[in-house]
Amino acid sequence: MNPVLAFLSLVIWLLVVPLCTGLLFNFILPRHRRTVAITFILGFLVYISVFELVAISSMLTVVFSAFSYCTYIFMAISLLLALLGIVRSVILLTKRNMHFLTLFPGEDHGEIRDYLNPRADLKLFKHNYSLESRIYWGIFLALMVLQLVMSVVMASFDGDDAYYVVESLLAQQADVMNTILPYTGSSTSLDIRHALAVITMWIAFLARMSGIHATIVSHTVMPLFVIPFVYLVYAEIARILLRDRQQVTPVFMVVTALLLMFGNVSIYTPATFLLMRTWQGKALVANLVFPMIFWMFLWMIEEIRAIKELVIREGSYRRYDLYAERRLRVTPWIMLGMICMFSGVCSSLGVIFGSALIGILTLVLLFLSKRWTVLVGAFLCIIPNLVYLAIYFSLFQS
Amino acid sequence: MYGIFMECWVSFKLYFGNPLQALLLVAAAIYITVFEKNMKKKLLLGILPLLVLAGFLLPVTKMLYVAAFDDGSDTYYRLLWLIPSYVVVGYALCKFAFDLGSRAKQRIALVCSLAVIVLSGSLVYINRYMSVAENFYHIPQNVIDICDVIAPQEGEPRVRAAFPSELVHFVRQYDTNILMPYGREMLATQWDYYNEVYEVMEKPETIDADLLLEATRKTGCSYIILANDRKIDKELSMCGLKVVGVVDKYNIYADPEVMGHG
Repeated sequence: MNPVLAFLSLVIWLLVVPLCTGLLFNFILPRHRRTVAITFILGFLVYISVFELVAISSMLTVVFSAFSYCTYIFMAISLLLALLGIVRSVILLTKRNMHFLTLFPGEDHGEIRDYLNPRADLKLFKHNYSLESRIYWGIFLALMVLQLVMSVVMASFDGDDAYYVVESLLAQQADVMNTILPYTGSSTSLDIRHALAVITMWIAFLARMSGIHATIVSHTVMPLFVIPFVYLVYAEIARILLRDRQQVTPVFMVVTALLLMFGNVSIYTPATFLLMRTWQGKALVANLVFPMIFWMFLWMIEEIRAIKELVIREGSYRRYDLYAERRLRVTPWIMLGMICMFSGVCSSLGVIFGSALIGILTLVLLFLSKRWTVLVGAFLCIIPNLVYLAIYFSLFQS
Repeated sequence: MYGIFMECWVSFKLYFGNPLQALLLVAAAIYITVFEKNMKKKLLLGILPLLVLAGFLLPVTKMLYVAAFDDGSDTYYRLLWLIPSYVVVGYALCKFAFDLGSRAKQRIALVCSLAVIVLSGSLVYINRYMSVAENFYHIPQNVIDICDVIAPQEGEPRVRAAFPSELVHFVRQYDTNILMPYGREMLATQWDYYNEVYEVMEKPETIDADLLLEATRKTGCSYIILANDRKIDKELSMCGLKVVGVVDKYNIYADPEVMGHG
């Protein structure tokens, strides 16, 4: 394929389609969180959850050319969702509803009603960064760009690539989904231990769509997508943790970037996995899934006060308040449910550890919010994990 | 119990690599626990990480983990991934630096904090498993060159080739139409598999050419790739194989007997 077309294809499937999917569903986000970044994350979670459903179904039900079925079905569904997202955006823009999306975190200026409303949290709105903060942002961006450049010009050796990367390449070249032994090429039955972690199939999907060799997609393209994505999640975490002093957010990002770059103290750390095995499911679990789960709980803990204030006025709900409260209460659990699906895409380890992490953090949330309903939310959001494990063990025993 | 505790302790030490990194995390969590006024942050970033660290060192945690997972002993360290280490350290350092009074003190503290991270850590790009990429595939160029010589053309059947162990990781990352009699599974020390070709090609100090050919022909290998400094009792070309290419130090032998049957 023409390199320009290949590049455009990657941009479409890695950035445009998830973002447009997010535009379709971002009405579930509270207004102050309806940013490009969070909309993209939401869209990516929907996109990857759909992929998981399509890929596992194709793998378990189709015997010949399973990967082609997976590719075509996923392509159709994800393009439809993205198209609907674009249509919704156009409709909202023609109605001059500019609140459906804000450019950057904190880009949304408060309105008059926000400033008059004693319950409005003005810290959630736009901040003007000082010159010093802008310099810190510059340093962080330079560090991130350095990591991206190094991910292309430096090659790391990891024995597991002989399995995971070859699985992707087999899907691209032989049109199979986990039914050929990667090491030697012999036919085999479905390898249950790794098969349900379909991240390798998603990489193969990108490879097929772009016409780029799956090994290049794994080793060279994936870091260019994953590393900024990881920092995006850390930036969202920082925005909540440093809500009172947003000027410090870029400093937090510089510290995080250095911790990751200099985190190769052993072969076991998340930093080592991120910068040396970026394309592997375990690296994504440690560096994307777990921080995302943590972010969601920070989000819910931050909303505790807002929910309480809305609940106090329960008798005099206005429609706006009712929707606002639902968004505050329910949205993070919906996103957590999709993060659980994403963890299954990455690794079966992510499913078990992710559930454990959600369990621990739910206890903290229960303690802080004193709302027993969080237990219901936690249970509902790990249902994808329970289904995943049920499929895993049923296949294992059959 | 003490023995299991020591196993946990060893995993802990191996994970952090050097004591400074572990100290940095523990100090950050304790700092947040003591000095953070916001109860939510204190709980999430201070107390909880300390509890998870303590739980990791408890023998009973390891016993439960090993009972639950087949490869529990090898992967126990992954429990430490549940601690948002970079968030804890990052937040503690930011709080420490920016809680100081004057701008000058804040900047000095920040620079010192960053220096601690750099000096206590290890730069990922200088470790021994990293090298300058030879191509966008990030696999050795000589593997690509060898594969280009032996790979089947469009419409031709797949070929099987015996590679030296230092190349087997990469071959099928480039072309899955090249099959191998053995792969990475023979190199991992934790798996004790038997493979006839591997036994005669990799284990002996000097390869017995007749035994090698017997094994490769039995497994249908059309090609054998051998380093020119690999000891062998008889030159393979004397046994009827043809040298179809030389890439770096590797000779590529084609076996007409197998190819004829293919």
